Amino acid sequence: MERSFNTEVGKLRLGKGQTFVGEGILAVTKALLQSGVSYVGGYQGAPVSHLMDVLNDARDVLDELGVHFEACGNEAGAAAMLGASVNYPLRGAVTWKSVVGTNVASDALSNLSSSGVKGGALIIIGEDYGEGASIIQERSHSFAMKSQMWLLDPRPNLPSIVNMVGKGFELSEATNTPVMLELRIRACHVHGSFECEDNRKPEFSKLNPITKPEFNFDRIPLPTANYTQERLKVDIRMPAALKFIREQGLNEVFPGTYEDIGIILQGGMYNTLIRAMQQFGLADAFGAGKIPLYVLNVTYPLLPEEVTAFCSGKRAVMIVEEGQPAHLEEAINSILRRAGINDPQVLGKDILPMAGEYTGEVLLGGLGRFLKLTAPSGVDQSEVHEVLEEVAQVKQRAAELLGERVPMRPPGFCIGCPERPVFSAIKMIDRELGGIHVSSDIGCHTFSTLPPFNLGNTVLGFGLSLAASAGIAPNMGQRVITVMGDGGFWHNGLSTGVTNAIFRNDDSVLLIMENGYTSATGTQNIPSSPGLTEKEGSGISIENTLRSLGLQWVERVDNYSVSTVSEALRRAMKTPQKGLKVIIADGECMLERQRRIRPINAARLAAGQSVVRTRFGVDEDVCTGDRACIRLSGCPALTLKDNPDPLRVEPVTTISSSCVGCGLCGEVAQAAALCPSFYRTEVIQNPGWGKRFMSGLRRRVIGALVGTAKELS
Amino acid sequence: MSGTKSTNMPRPFTILIAALGGEGGGVLADWLVDAATHSDFPVQSTSIPGVSQRTGATTYYVEIFPVRQAELAGKHPVLALVPTPGAVDMVAASELLEAGRAMQNAFVTAQRTTLVASTHRIFATSEKMIPTDGRYGSEKILGASTKIAQRAILFDMLSQAQKAGTVINSVLFGAMAGSGVLPLSRTVCEAAIRGAGKGAEASLRGFALGYEHAASAQALVPKAPEKLPPPPAKENLRVRSEFPGALHELLNQAVARLIDYLDVAYADLYLDRMRSVVAVDNETDGAGQGYPLTRETARLLVLWMTYEDIIRVAELKTRPERFARLRKEAGAQPGEPVVIVDFLKPGPEEFADILSPGLSDLIKTWELKRRNLGRTLSFPLRLQTSSLTGFLALRFLARLKPLRRRSARFALEQATIERWLAAIKRYGMATRDRELVQEIIQCAALLRGYGGTQRRGRRAFEHIFDSLLENKTAEAQKIVELKQALHAARNAALANPDVPPVPPAATGKPVVWLKAG
Repeated sequence: MERSFNTEVGKLRLGKGQTFVGEGILAVTKALLQSGVSYVGGYQGAPVSHLMDVLNDARDVLDELGVHFEACGNEAGAAAMLGASVNYPLRGAVTWKSVVGTNVASDALSNLSSSGVKGGALIIIGEDYGEGASIIQERSHSFAMKSQMWLLDPRPNLPSIVNMVGKGFELSEATNTPVMLELRIRACHVHGSFECEDNRKPEFSKLNPITKPEFNFDRIPLPTANYTQERLKVDIRMPAALKFIREQGLNEVFPGTYEDIGIILQGGMYNTLIRAMQQFGLADAFGAGKIPLYVLNVTYPLLPEEVTAFCSGKRAVMIVEEGQPAHLEEAINSILRRAGINDPQVLGKDILPMAGEYTGEVLLGGLGRFLKLTAPSGVDQSEVHEVLEEVAQVKQRAAELLGERVPMRPPGFCIGCPERPVFSAIKMIDRELGGIHVSSDIGCHTFSTLPPFNLGNTVLGFGLSLAASAGIAPNMGQRVITVMGDGGFWHNGLSTGVTNAIFRNDDSVLLIMENGYTSATGTQNIPSSPGLTEKEGSGISIENTLRSLGLQWVERVDNYSVSTVSEALRRAMKTPQKGLKVIIADGECMLERQRRIRPINAARLAAGQSVVRTRFGVDEDVCTGDRACIRLSGCPALTLKDNPDPLRVEPVTTISSSCVGCGLCGEVAQAAALCPSFYRTEVIQNPGWGKRFMSGLRRRVIGALVGTAKELS
Repeated sequence: MSGTKSTNMPRPFTILIAALGGEGGGVLADWLVDAATHSDFPVQSTSIPGVSQRTGATTYYVEIFPVRQAELAGKHPVLALVPTPGAVDMVAASELLEAGRAMQNAFVTAQRTTLVASTHRIFATSEKMIPTDGRYGSEKILGASTKIAQRAILFDMLSQAQKAGTVINSVLFGAMAGSGVLPLSRTVCEAAIRGAGKGAEASLRGFALGYEHAASAQALVPKAPEKLPPPPAKENLRVRSEFPGALHELLNQAVARLIDYLDVAYADLYLDRMRSVVAVDNETDGAGQGYPLTRETARLLVLWMTYEDIIRVAELKTRPERFARLRKEAGAQPGEPVVIVDFLKPGPEEFADILSPGLSDLIKTWELKRRNLGRTLSFPLRLQTSSLTGFLALRFLARLKPLRRRSARFALEQATIERWLAAIKRYGMATRDRELVQEIIQCAALLRGYGGTQRRGRRAFEHIFDSLLENKTAEAQKIVELKQALHAARNAALANPDVPPVPPAATGKPVVWLKAG
């Protein structure tokens, strides 16, 4: 695991009257325990990984309450876990990164929402949208609508979020419908506080198991129950939801003096909008503003009577709805039309962008346009213009002074990452064979698509890279290389990709990156992780799994040996043998490895035992600065410095002190026959007397040979 | 920017932290939250870690409401989760390019923003992968920051962090506090660091350095670091008597290097060659300008004449200064043995280079055939230079210097140099166009490196000379067009360094070589 969560686990024990201080997603975790959940599941991914990580470390707390926690095989598994709430009064919650996780889960979600639930079922959605996102940009809102699950989008402060967790369970139970709680990236990571309640032991749990299974055909999606279920959604569950939301006052109206205009917004947009209003002088520090606001903490379903009540008598209403399609705007227009309210002009995607995150700058611009169009009395138009103009001017001035755009700095492989050498090898084979189609997957290894590698022609989803090669491979003159991580392998790749490729005898080359963890999400354990905990079972080897499927061509290579990897790739590309050929690229995630090894080395040093510290370097007078090494590795530690040679004007390549000594640069320099600049130094700390003696002897002899009295190595 | 219009109302103090993954930006945000909490101020922080923690650019955003909770009577200020242009009080950047990015995104404004940034650079991949120099100019960001920010506090925080034996985030925190704008006292900031436990002492040292730097230096604006002048080389008599004074230092450096590389006769050859180039400068009014053409030719010629063959590499790798430098770089304490392993891949071609032309051709032809069959005699060699055998092996190679003058590579390089110098002189005298001559001079920069890089560069060089310079039709071109063609061809060769250039065009056919592959 990337970090320890001991402090956070302690916060889960807080009781009534105490204050929780911490991150949004951890506040949700605490709120689940306060709501009496019986079980929690999910699949890790930013921005909700910490929910899983904390519960994983909080087994004691969970055991005391009888709560079952499961890190599921994938999001479909997590959604299916909510099946426990179909027949029984068990509250359950699952979490994942969305929209991708919701995509994977949607089969189970459709069935779940059709069957309906007895116990409250809450799905915590980490909406990975906008700045900091690492996935396709779509909204989860559509899923809520098409499966008819209720969607909560609370104002992004801890008390509101925590309150919505509790209300979400109640809403779910009152309507027999699963509920989605949507949290954006920054809301998951927002640091704040809320007043705690005591944790609640669930009525039924491991401590008090259900004794009698319930059979009810009405819950099964077969005719005629499936038809009945759809009718129930429309006739019973939706009206029940509208009633609950209205009676509980889940949405909020904030009054304002400019009563002839108003803004309807998603709860998650509240703070950013208030900041924009403050910049125009339309709100104070505490949010009291001049424009009336209707804040949708529930974005699906909408309450027609609340919408019409807010809009009645207004000239214009602005809709602040992030993402597309514009579901809210369309629904509001439709509600007003049906109610025969035609007066207010509804402004939304025409004054705000259709796509992309609604950042501070975006909302500032949108609100400015709204003020210009509606010209409320009391608003000085020249001031509005001034605020907008100043932002534009600052940007323009910066652009003029800087001249060119500053270079992008996308994420990339860490220093010493075991995946980098594999792509160095692929890049060399790619050049050698005149271009190879690479089918990529999701994971850290997707960074191979960025410079300097630019390898990977398609990405179709987590664990889907092999399946994604099925169409192109037979239509390509040369074999296709598929890259898949071990995380993707267990998530989906084994079933969808590998077994079918074997079954259909596909002629394919599959390269599995076995780094031991789902590294991109925070190095969580998977079935093939080294050092599984006692709770996690005995582990499953990827290689044994492949061999047990009857696969003959399986090779395991050491990632850091670029020549070995490239030779294995060459064999796989050229062998006359048809069928699936798998190369397992074996190298532990360097972040985890360093975390594991650092304390061991510290202990050895403290005990006076010998420790070798390795790092690499570039001879500054041998390097001629063609950067071929950087183009074949891209290691962050491999960088530039001013040339110490007064006759050379170009910078020299150098290796920064952050080098962990993985050896890739030296490997690449040799494998690609680049240059003789690279060297490795090994400092022997706490050397034994033998080593010290030999080293001293060498130093003296070499010193004598070069005619210097100086201390040498 | 007017910010909050009701100016008598308190407003949150907003801080955007721009950092790289793994620099401790999250810890810095936590310190700010802790310090604000201890001051009884409402505070909120957010971040977008995700995968950007893997060395990419990332930001943290903190808002502190500088009024005690006790005075707020239960009211809660609304704090934003995203920075808005015009409403940021402080931008703290742990690296200079990230400060530039914050300015580009309009988060730094003259009305409101204090910019606290480290001036050191961590280069982006796109800056590093380009041959020659793809670095974004630091001076552009330094210049812009003082013009755009209300106040700019800029210094190299990385070196301060190293001095304190800590991570850059503590120095940055110190500089933020030392700016005097942050609504948090030094005491609460230091208490926050202490409260975080792990590594607190080192962090406090870093904090103190940052604080004092920011508090003492009033908006200091460092210039981009300039290269130190080299130690003066021994004065050469010929240089003094035959060349104008402006060139003495440079030529003395070059002569010293050539004598070290081969012998005095070789240095004399260099000076003979340079004399004719001075004439070109005189012809193009270069004398008054400090001899720009001669200077650049002198620099590139000495680098060319001291090309890196295995003898040279072996010599450089066994110098006593190298052992000392590597020990220092590895941070070895006295008494700790240091093992040095050099990563070499000598092949038949490298050895052929130092043999006589006839023998060399034989070996190279044979090696080329093998290479086309996918075989090679090149072998990866990890030589322990710190061991006696490894050291002696390299010393033996370094002692082969007498072979050099009669070697195939030597003959090839001298012939190519003469081609280059001839073009410089011919075009210089005929056109008197200094820019054009510079274009020709810079072609020498194509010939660099080892192995494949060396082969590709040589092909590019020859191609340019065949098709653009030593070609009747091409010579008839207008000077402007020729300049452009040379520039484009050179850039194309540098832009696609890993792609072999198209085979040389037939002579007599003007080809403007734009892009390889």
